[in-house]
Amino acid sequence: MSDVVLRGIRKSFGDIETLHGIDLDIKDGEFVVFVGPSGCGKSTLLRTIAGLEDITSGDLHIGGERCNDTPPAKRGVAMVFQSYALYPHMTVAENMAFGLKLAGVSKEEMKQAVDRAARILQIEHLLERKPKALSGGQRQRVAIGRAIVRKPNVFLFDEPLSNLDAALRVQMRIEITKLHRELNTTMVYVTHDQVEAMTLADRIVVLNAGNVEQVGSPLELYHHPRNLFVAGFIGSPKMNFVEGKLAAIGANHATVQLADGSMVTAAVDASAGQVGGKVTLGIRPEHFEFSASGNTISGQLIAVEHLGEATICYLQVPGASEHLVVRADAEHEAKPGETLSVRLPETRCYLFNEAGLAFQRVKNS
Amino acid sequence: MAVVLDKSHRWRVVAAHLGLICFIALIMFPFLMILLISLRPGNFSTGDLIPSQISLEHWKLVLGIPYQAADGRLVEPEFPVLLWLWNSIKVAALSGLIGLLLSTTCAYAFARMRFAFKAQLINSLMLVQMFPTVLALVAIYAIFDQIGGYVPWLGLDTHGGLILAYTGGIALHIWTIKGYFDTIPVEIEEAAKVDGATPFQAFRYVLLPMAVPILMVVFLLAFIQGVNEYPIASVLLKQQDQLTIAVGIKMFLYEQKYFWGDFAAAAILSGLPISIVFLLAQRWMTSGLTAGGVKG
Ligand SMILES: Nc1ncnc2c1ncn2[C@@H]1O[C@H](COP(=O)(O)OP(=O)(O)O)[C@@H](O)[C@H]1O
Ligand SMILES: [Mg+2]
Repeated sequence: MSDVVLRGIRKSFGDIETLHGIDLDIKDGEFVVFVGPSGCGKSTLLRTIAGLEDITSGDLHIGGERCNDTPPAKRGVAMVFQSYALYPHMTVAENMAFGLKLAGVSKEEMKQAVDRAARILQIEHLLERKPKALSGGQRQRVAIGRAIVRKPNVFLFDEPLSNLDAALRVQMRIEITKLHRELNTTMVYVTHDQVEAMTLADRIVVLNAGNVEQVGSPLELYHHPRNLFVAGFIGSPKMNFVEGKLAAIGANHATVQLADGSMVTAAVDASAGQVGGKVTLGIRPEHFEFSASGNTISGQLIAVEHLGEATICYLQVPGASEHLVVRADAEHEAKPGETLSVRLPETRCYLFNEAGLAFQRVKNS
Repeated sequence: MAVVLDKSHRWRVVAAHLGLICFIALIMFPFLMILLISLRPGNFSTGDLIPSQISLEHWKLVLGIPYQAADGRLVEPEFPVLLWLWNSIKVAALSGLIGLLLSTTCAYAFARMRFAFKAQLINSLMLVQMFPTVLALVAIYAIFDQIGGYVPWLGLDTHGGLILAYTGGIALHIWTIKGYFDTIPVEIEEAAKVDGATPFQAFRYVLLPMAVPILMVVFLLAFIQGVNEYPIASVLLKQQDQLTIAVGIKMFLYEQKYFWGDFAAAAILSGLPISIVFLLAQRWMTSGLTAGGVKG
């Protein structure tokens, strides 16, 4: 077991810098998820921790030791690749035992470790098969099994579930959580799927274009995103943004004038703002209310989707860059073409200044 | 084959088979002719297609067994054909193995490592190899003459020298193997490295086993090349007992008289090791060895 500490990690491929100085403390036994859009450098960061990419500048410590120049084999890490990367010429058992074989572990011990991992992952009946005779989900289990067998100090997962179908993904997600509880080992998990991040993580690291945008627990990110990017990235369907101007400011409220002239109040500490300054108002689709009056926003209903457990309404609102997405009850009976007014509960609103940074929301609990 | 087929499909299958049979006949015809020439008494290149009389005289000669000629005298084999065959096998196998070793490691470097002038190097390898060997014969002769002055077992008239000369021609093999390495996802070796393998172990235990089919193909090509090669061997080798079969076989064709029958028997003999090596290598040349490693 070990902690992982990153200090000013930079990585360049030729002249192009991909990681622009990452600082991060991953505690022993913690489950940390790197999340961010495709191409933001998640895999690159994970691969620098694994030792598959050298670090251009900065320091990497695993278990208290500086590992910048340690080859992957000696870092005590195990990695699960997005593409599984199984050894196609070996059976499942041989795949899982490969690391131990290299380490010179006795046959007896090897078999025990493989059997134990196979039991945890329920792949005991597959041990004699070659990878090509396995389904995607089974291959994924083998890849995870190969990592478990070595009893690493740190597990690294690179989008391990992105090749599985939706149902299997949910099942594997639960199993990975269970695995973390049983092994209690430090895990670093990369995904572009914010649902995976929210459900798995102790702490989430939101990456964007090679920078850390915010680090925090899933609920922290959900309730107190530091900027527009994090706010838009965490939560599904994503947060609605409406442009406006600050009309009044206070230590626990801000009034925003929207494009159509209507006023909306948000419970945020706006004392640092300037009256007349441009701001972006944010509200999550699930936080709108339909009870009549005060703090409302109205627009034309473009489309309605009935999902069964809920109804999603798309509203055309002046000043919003995209349609406003509103999550309503399953029984909601609005028709496209109608004009709809929805209430924005003050304490549910988010507010961002012109630079995209969030005003601190007033904590109501 | 559970696919539903059209009626006309059967006729297409028949037509395809007919075409294939014609093709095979076309290829087999010269071989059958050689076989017949070697079994016909006397040394003629032409004659009845179906010989009226089968004679093993040429085969006996080639295999080093004296035989009783029609006029009653005992004909002693003139040339050590079996020794030549052995020389050929030795040279071809050793140059194939050494060439395989060099080209595999070389291809690994070109496929997986980063170093300066990589693209230029691999392209110049190809260009140099395109230079016709025949044009370089004089140079090759001079080089091995010189080498022989310092290292006798690599000089003229030695098998060592010939093997060295053959091993020089691996640029094409490097290209072939590199091309195959390029199709194998790097992640599989990376997984091995994270699993605790040194770069060499990742190469030896992971990459190499996946590349066995192409290695077999390359060895086979090098082996065939070694058995069949004529120009270099004819320049480097002079003593009769050092010759390879491709060079030695020419001895049956004098200025004044061509011993076509003996020539044919020896030619078939020289094809034997190639066929055997091919049959042995075939079981390793399975496809799909890398299937299932990564999600496609
Ligand atoms: N080996 C490489 N050479 C050059 N550029 C690379 C290499 N690997 C990744 N990159 C670049 O780094 C950026 C981040 O890639 P990656 O870490 O794979 O993103 P992701 O967050 O989707 O995993 C991308 O723009 C990619 O083009
Ligand atoms: Mg990636």
